[in-house]
Amino acid sequence: MGTELNRRSFLSASLVGVAAMSPLLAACGSGPAQKTGANTESGLQAALPAYAPSSPVTPDIPSVPGGPDIMTDPGFLTYPANPVATVPGVPGRGGSYSAVTPLWGTVPPAGNAFYQAMNKALGVELTMKPADGNNYNTIIPTMTAAKKLPDWIQLPSWWNSNFNVGGLAGTQLADLTPYLAGDKIKKYPNLAAIPTGAWRAGAWGDKLYGIPSFSSSIALAGVVFFRRDIFDAKGITADQVRSADDLMNLGKELTDAKAGVWAFDDVWTYLYPAWGLPNKWAVDNGKLVHKYELPQFLDALDWHNKLAANGYLHPDGMAGDKSNANTRFYAGKTLITGDGTGAWNLADYQSGTAATASFRRGAFNVISADGKATPQLFLGPSTSELSYLNGNLKPEQIEELLAVANYLAAPYGSAEYTMVNFGVEGLHYTRQNGVPTATDAGKKEVQAQTFPFLASPRAVISNPGGDVVTKDYAAWQAANAKSLYKPVFWNMNISMPQSVATADAAQPVEDAIKDCYHGKKKVADVQSAIATWKSSGGDKLTQWMTDNVLSKYGTGQ
Amino acid sequence: MTSTATPVTTARPRLSWRVRLRRDRSLLLMTVPAVVLLLVFNYVPLFGLATAFQEYDPLVGVWNSEWVGFDQFTRLFADSLFWGALNNTLYLSFVQLVLFFPIPIALALLLNSVISQRIRNFVQSVVYLPHFFSWVLAITVFQQMLGGAGVLNQFLRGNDIGTWDIMTNPHTFALLVTSQAIWKEAGWGIIVFLAALAAINTDLYEAAAVDGAGRWRRLWHITLPGLRGVIMLMLVLRLGNALTVGFEQFLIQRDAVGHEAADVLDTFSFYYGIATGNYSYGAAAGLFKSVISLLLIWGANKLAHAFGEDGLYRR
Repeated sequence: MGTELNRRSFLSASLVGVAAMSPLLAACGSGPAQKTGANTESGLQAALPAYAPSSPVTPDIPSVPGGPDIMTDPGFLTYPANPVATVPGVPGRGGSYSAVTPLWGTVPPAGNAFYQAMNKALGVELTMKPADGNNYNTIIPTMTAAKKLPDWIQLPSWWNSNFNVGGLAGTQLADLTPYLAGDKIKKYPNLAAIPTGAWRAGAWGDKLYGIPSFSSSIALAGVVFFRRDIFDAKGITADQVRSADDLMNLGKELTDAKAGVWAFDDVWTYLYPAWGLPNKWAVDNGKLVHKYELPQFLDALDWHNKLAANGYLHPDGMAGDKSNANTRFYAGKTLITGDGTGAWNLADYQSGTAATASFRRGAFNVISADGKATPQLFLGPSTSELSYLNGNLKPEQIEELLAVANYLAAPYGSAEYTMVNFGVEGLHYTRQNGVPTATDAGKKEVQAQTFPFLASPRAVISNPGGDVVTKDYAAWQAANAKSLYKPVFWNMNISMPQSVATADAAQPVEDAIKDCYHGKKKVADVQSAIATWKSSGGDKLTQWMTDNVLSKYGTGQ
Repeated sequence: MTSTATPVTTARPRLSWRVRLRRDRSLLLMTVPAVVLLLVFNYVPLFGLATAFQEYDPLVGVWNSEWVGFDQFTRLFADSLFWGALNNTLYLSFVQLVLFFPIPIALALLLNSVISQRIRNFVQSVVYLPHFFSWVLAITVFQQMLGGAGVLNQFLRGNDIGTWDIMTNPHTFALLVTSQAIWKEAGWGIIVFLAALAAINTDLYEAAAVDGAGRWRRLWHITLPGLRGVIMLMLVLRLGNALTVGFEQFLIQRDAVGHEAADVLDTFSFYYGIATGNYSYGAAAGLFKSVISLLLIWGANKLAHAFGEDGLYRR
């Protein structure tokens, strides 16, 4: 038992260490006297770049518009045989820079052939320093605390509060407004083709800071997926599902616990909007209301609680085992699951068909819970990945790096895009049936994505070798684009004081919600958690948001 | 750990520190790396405890953050979730003390009575093995075996017997985590006791057997008294660690049984402090835990001395 205790005491020491060492390790929150970082509509309009779409390659499945600022991603079934160049000459003038990006994968060797080829093409000495994506939120704050950011850095927006990007903007990060506002962006045509919403996501206090990557005019938190091959075999189609009742009935019909099959995995995060719920805030008669306070929130909880109580939810899902959710789905142990739209890709198709040859992913259309109201789903931020330039750079250096960003943001199918995403032909990729296919060197050096995290063009749907995925996803987007809406405070950056941010995170309520949709707590328990939350900070949060954001900057819709 | 210390040392006249330094320099030199490690990873971070009295903002650093005195603690003591986590910690600690603590001792006694060296080595390896698994793996094994869709429940379902919900039942969570801990760590825990058993003079057993003492009498009068010092030491350490029941095990199973059953002080610091960027709050909870732990270990050590045992150190 002695060593056992030692192990534990070490653990406790290290944990106290984590909490106590946080000044050295981590960043978050905000200073006492801080601005909200939000933008005014008029001020922001003056700063936003002009939008000038371009498409050197005609898509096989063209974009279709939804509501304002909403547009489906174009779909490509082939890759152009002779990619056209969109950037004349070499963008750089020989400057030396460092860049840090998150990488979820194996770090490519430093100074490899791909980096060298890219530097030659870009005309700069850009030293790429990819850092482990899983620990990225703890790596960066040490740099900001020491005021030693690299020249160019990716700061994913879901960590905005961890990084305190609002505080960094204007102190350690460069203001790009003088270079990109309005028509000035025309100097960088590929950047100008990035949707305006994505530039909004990188704006703080009426100024442009972030350069968007992977932007889309139809970014969504996620959708409810189903096993289309199995549904087809049973004669069930997605458009038969029009209400929450229909889904509950599917739960009954498809669950066969004896055979180890449960109809549902966790879907709450992706299905609750069907009850007419916003992602966080709604404005009712000019008053700001948190989704927790809306009566239909309880209806949504009740339905999910019943789903678990009825035994339609996979036991491992109920046990909180998310890491094996895809394995369950591929193996047909669950037939309906929630996930980000990013799950709809080539790798998923390959893994799925490896488990079940007929595997096909489908997604339900946006529905309303009662089947009568107009189906609605809120739009996510137009991008969640933004790169920033160091505030210490000189104007000519910023211009040089923006020219580099313009190269990196070249649209799908262009010569520059081919270089950034596939590397050098013959060395990093070869054409197989017209599709650029990575060689071993390409897998090692190019596929571990680094440059696209500095700047990349708007998203397209392209899955060479898996046309069914491209067609299915594009069809789903086209069918649902009209049901999407811009939520309150869409693409708005808000930095809050710590006490407000704690109420905004609402950890106790989120915990209670999870227990409720896993069937361990009743809706009444969540109600009391919400009541506690309201009195211990929730009401203050609403007031703060009303005073500091809504009344000053509007809803951002 | 056993009776190796020579009582003569106390009787010796004290040498000057210079002489002792000279005499022990190679020994002292050997401890330097360990001391440096201890300083860097255990003592230097203590400086960060200052954040428990601040509204800490990482961007301005610990020197420029606002000092708020005991505000974090006031909030902490008014937080019902904190008391819930403390409650869980103490309850789990108690259950583990009662159910877990005796098992390595019993296992060690059992193994010690096995005469065949081969069987002994085999059993020892088997019970050691789970210690080297990570908690993720250990819990996955439990989930695959006992989970709602695991081997056991699928068998029960197939035979229409009804299912046994142990992996997601908050009411029996303490038993679940204790049995997981026993499965994973009990084997490893026997090492210390086996060492203590090996140090007992075998002549005593022979003499007792000649005098007609049976197996139980020998156990009671020779083995257990021989183990008493080590058991006491382990108990003191265990009590001192009463507020530390583990972290990953609860982090991983938190969603399975819900936060009310699974939150212990360490996960509380994590979820309501670090994860929401509320570092000062987490530091306050961590500091509270450390202070109570220090008191506990001091008290337990006193108690051991009162019983005439060595405890952590010889008085």
